[in-house]
Amino acid sequence: MSSVIWYLYEFARKSWAEKFANARTDQEIMETPSRFRDFPQVRKEYCIACGACTAACPAPMAIKLVRTSDSAHEEGITYPIINTRGCIRCGFCAEVCPTDPKTLLCGENHLIREKFTILPVDKMFVIDDYLCIRCKKCIKTCSEIAGAISEVDKKPVIDQSKCIGCGDCIKNCPVKGAIKGIFIENVEEQKAIINMVVDVLEARIEADQDKIMKLEPEEIYKIDFPLDELVDEARKIIPNDELIRDSIKKVTDRLKMRIVTWDDEKCTNCRLCVGECPSGAITYDKEKGVQRNPDKCLRCSICYQTCPFGVAGFYVARFLLTETALEDGIIRITVKPSQLPIGVD
Amino acid sequence: MILPIGPVHPALKEPLRLKLKTRGERVLEAEIDYGYVHRGIERVMKGKTWQKGIYLSERVCGICSYIHTQTFAETFERIAGERAPLRAQFLRVLTNELDRIQSHLLANSTYFKILEHETLFMYMLYLREPIMDAIELLTGNRVNMGWNVVGGVKMDVNQSHLDSILKIIQNLEDEYDRYVEMFDHGPMIGLRSHDVGKMTREEAIKARAVGPIGRASGLKHDLREQHHTYKDHFDWKVIWRKDQDNYARTMNRFDEITESIKLIKQVINNLPEGEVRKQINIPAGYAEWRNEAPRGEVTYMIETNGNLIKNVSIRTPSIMNIDACAKYMLKDVATVADALATYASVDPCIACTERVMIVDETGKGQEYVYPDYKIPYLKDKTED
Amino acid sequence: MLDSLKDIIRKSSIHACLVSTGGCNGCDIEIVALLSPRYDLEQYGIYFHNNPREADVILIAGAVTEQWREKLQRIYAKAPEPKVVVAIGNCPLSGDVFNQEGSSVYAPVSDFIPVDAEVSGCPPRPSEILAAILAVGPDAIAAKGRLAKGDQKAEASEEAELNQKAEASQKGGEEKV
Repeated sequence: MSSVIWYLYEFARKSWAEKFANARTDQEIMETPSRFRDFPQVRKEYCIACGACTAACPAPMAIKLVRTSDSAHEEGITYPIINTRGCIRCGFCAEVCPTDPKTLLCGENHLIREKFTILPVDKMFVIDDYLCIRCKKCIKTCSEIAGAISEVDKKPVIDQSKCIGCGDCIKNCPVKGAIKGIFIENVEEQKAIINMVVDVLEARIEADQDKIMKLEPEEIYKIDFPLDELVDEARKIIPNDELIRDSIKKVTDRLKMRIVTWDDEKCTNCRLCVGECPSGAITYDKEKGVQRNPDKCLRCSICYQTCPFGVAGFYVARFLLTETALEDGIIRITVKPSQLPIGVD
Repeated sequence: MILPIGPVHPALKEPLRLKLKTRGERVLEAEIDYGYVHRGIERVMKGKTWQKGIYLSERVCGICSYIHTQTFAETFERIAGERAPLRAQFLRVLTNELDRIQSHLLANSTYFKILEHETLFMYMLYLREPIMDAIELLTGNRVNMGWNVVGGVKMDVNQSHLDSILKIIQNLEDEYDRYVEMFDHGPMIGLRSHDVGKMTREEAIKARAVGPIGRASGLKHDLREQHHTYKDHFDWKVIWRKDQDNYARTMNRFDEITESIKLIKQVINNLPEGEVRKQINIPAGYAEWRNEAPRGEVTYMIETNGNLIKNVSIRTPSIMNIDACAKYMLKDVATVADALATYASVDPCIACTERVMIVDETGKGQEYVYPDYKIPYLKDKTED
Repeated sequence: MLDSLKDIIRKSSIHACLVSTGGCNGCDIEIVALLSPRYDLEQYGIYFHNNPREADVILIAGAVTEQWREKLQRIYAKAPEPKVVVAIGNCPLSGDVFNQEGSSVYAPVSDFIPVDAEVSGCPPRPSEILAAILAVGPDAIAAKGRLAKGDQKAEASEEAELNQKAEASQKGGEEKV
């Protein structure tokens, strides 16, 4: 009996009666609060394709990088896509995204970033982990000067806040290129210089094509290329001798140029190479015969290996910069025939 | 006869097989089969960085997901020998108590559902929704919040957020007493709750019951007493009872919610200014940390090499509580319906329990066994 | 005439059964939250009753664990036609964070039983679950009901096959014990 009275009392409350009179689901249940963390938004145009988001994502299958195919006018762009069937909406990808403004947006995050260190010089020194042989000579050298290099996890690591940019570590490093000093400013100008140097060197080798074609298999063809011309051109791009020398040295250290020559006289129009060429650089025309377009050529050496008559020649050029000043410096170029086997298999 | 219940059954919200040995309507003994939600979470966590591990630890259990991340983060902070900034510690307390309120309301609502008291079931869920809103406003997600990190919390709050949380809590407090009274004086509930599923203090100690289940049997033990933030900055008391039955367990949860409301008000009124996150460099090492989850104590034992998790072991409260339920509470219960209500009053969380699988190689198939954890004395934790 | 009447009835009264096949519990409690007065699932004619034998909609929440691999198919076979399976949360869709090296989950759930609708999120908000169930549930059940009538033979044989499988696995299980 008491329970019946109790229920009557319960139902007689005003708020209950009100709710009973207009019972319906509120619209507000579909609204999310302002801080709700939804699936991350992707802003393709900022992506630098570093892969930090895919590496950091705790859920497998949630995020991956895709690349659109190239069109005639521009290169394809790379950007992350979110798979909503895997994404757990944690917002960690947005937290690690290094671009500014961020490629991925997902809620608020208070991330602690390392403060940028102010460099005493315009060069930043880094250790290449792959080339480093862990001899620790750099640590010994630096301990007397700045003490910026220390051993972490058995690897030498440079503390950028202590580095004074003297470059002694590079001088003492036994491996060429294991420690690099990188100019962190004027990146576009550096790119322009590198492109210019490669173009000029290539043109110089192409000019001697006739001589190169006559090389015996073991013979080496040498060219001494004076730097003056290059330096003048480079100074038009940026008047900084140190930077120019650094860029040219990097080019000559790393560059290995492949040269493809074409001897029209030997060609019998058998057209074996036309089908094999991956880039469509070799074409056949009834009147002109087999033609090669050097601008399209990838220097992949397939035509050289295919041709039974030795029309195509394949050579490798290497470069060395003499250790002298910019003014009368010389780039030594050596060209030698490739040892690749020839013949249709 | 043996009456099997589950894994899919109207009375269970999670998969588990309950074997009741009955004579007539009377339940003599009970046995519990685990293993339906074993996902191998500890094995997955090994060899991952903490940044990934913290999201895995969050998904050990969906109801008390918050305390898992906090314990995980505090274990790493202990390895590094540092603590989160004070503001972050206060925000952690705030979220922890909000989580405790929603978990207790959910547990009680499940209990009422199984008692077939639909009205109170609905009222409990009605009270719970604003709390979920507060959690979503604070952390950005309702269940798996992704809010803790080693060294603090992810997002800062401003005054308007705190005000709206305070308003929600105030509304809860205003209405709260009515519903508790409804339970306290409800004639039908009283009939089915008093003196059902008793577990004495000695039995609770034997079964290592923890949390509200242990406290309802007279074990005055709450790990929040030893936690540095609670100990130093807040004024609160441990809730415990001597009644030992279903009523005590449910009522204990109701009273803990009152205490949580007090704690939340203290946090919001005394929130210190400052950073919410700081950088912590983690060295190689081993540490363990215990915290009071809504259901009892949760322990994390983590070994790291400074970057990756080498070894991790998680102990959650539900495993002890469910065993205590099967061994002592479900002994000699009058009816099967009461047995189910007793089971629900323990607030079982199956997802919490299942992580370790040891395959029996004797050829009799697979057995799910839990290894002996070596838990040192409490002293070890308090001295730090 | 009778068919359209059946459609209306099927649309307006749906029994749902929640099967948690080994997740973190988060989706389960979000479904419990759906019953709350705020979301009030029952006003749409959906009733939760965790009994697969009388379910029209089976809600799967959780990556499939070792123990569930056979039992899930058995539960699916037990539910009467027409039935709709809704996968809730990321676990049944992709295995979520658990689907990594060293774990013992066998996601996705569509490897074991056909899935008609899916809600992604970890866990999805109750409003998202509600929207998905309402968007797909009633119509799908009605459509399946019509299909079952028109193509009774094929359905029946399929069902018999499933039942056979379930029985066989049950027997196998018993023998093992």
